[in-house]
Amino acid sequence: MHFITGGAFNGKRKWVKNHYAQEHCLWLSAYDGNTLKKQCNEALPEVVVLEGLEEWVNIQIDPAILPDKQCREMMQEIEPWLAWEKADSRRRLVIIGTDISKGIVPANKEERMWRDMTGWLYQRLAAKAERVDLIWYGIEQTIKRERF
Amino acid sequence: METEQLIFISGGVRSGKSSFAETMAADLSKKQGTILHYIACGVASDEEMAARITRHRKDRENASVDWSTWECPDHLQRIANHFSKHDILVLDCVTTLLNNYLFDGNMSDPEHVINVILTDLISLRETSATLIVVSNEVTQGVPFEQPSIRNYQYILGNAHQHIVDQADTAYLVENGMPICKKGAVP
Repeated sequence: MHFITGGAFNGKRKWVKNHYAQEHCLWLSAYDGNTLKKQCNEALPEVVVLEGLEEWVNIQIDPAILPDKQCREMMQEIEPWLAWEKADSRRRLVIIGTDISKGIVPANKEERMWRDMTGWLYQRLAAKAERVDLIWYGIEQTIKRERF
Repeated sequence: METEQLIFISGGVRSGKSSFAETMAADLSKKQGTILHYIACGVASDEEMAARITRHRKDRENASVDWSTWECPDHLQRIANHFSKHDILVLDCVTTLLNNYLFDGNMSDPEHVINVILTDLISLRETSATLIVVSNEVTQGVPFEQPSIRNYQYILGNAHQHIVDQADTAYLVENGMPICKKGAVP
């Protein structure tokens, strides 16, 4: 799995589109209201991109459930994708998440929770990833590389 | 001497990006034998801004190197033909220029504003030996709901992508320490 992060409007999507061949790609975006949960059907292309992880976290937040538990559950929803990728060495899962962690502490409690959970989820994703890139105005900095 | 060179420097508030830019300009000026110019886009729109401008002016007056200051709030290509390949320019910073276009110039179309800013920078780069552009990091917090702020971040983020693409060298300054993201240290 390849995890891509960086601030908003830094060219993450463009970088991924340049880096991975477009024609063999399934692009699921939380910004377009797509679910990022893996469906059971399946004739999938070799590259699957999940975009807008922070938005996916945002729409799922339930203030009644402990953040730690929610974060674990979200990670469990990513697991079927990781299993799919693992089943064939040609497959690649690409996950894009905007960094929302470096601003002023939000006054609003829900926003603080959003920020916390997104950060925790990103830590888990980065730990699972074979490669992690930080995109700064279109320039990548590879901060983890195990396989590709 | 390089015929033309664009260096982009960005960082958070009080990251030390301006001092880094000024020190780099002074070093390059010595090396290249070029004259230092400072392009100030700030407008003294209120007391706080006036005080900031005065402080920056005093800093440059007291500096060990000589700076010529050009106060130009917008459409920087107007002053571009005053420079030659014997000049090194520091523009600090893109956000001030952007603010002038958005709030004083009442520009609203994002792609147009981005183009106008790029035209300014390219015209300065073409006439000078080196142009150093300083800007701010403003896109890494929790997303704002107000469309005006999202729009501002969109414009600045996309302008930065274009500038970095054009730049020979690009730095992110963190806590006074420059991280070279593109190119080699000049």
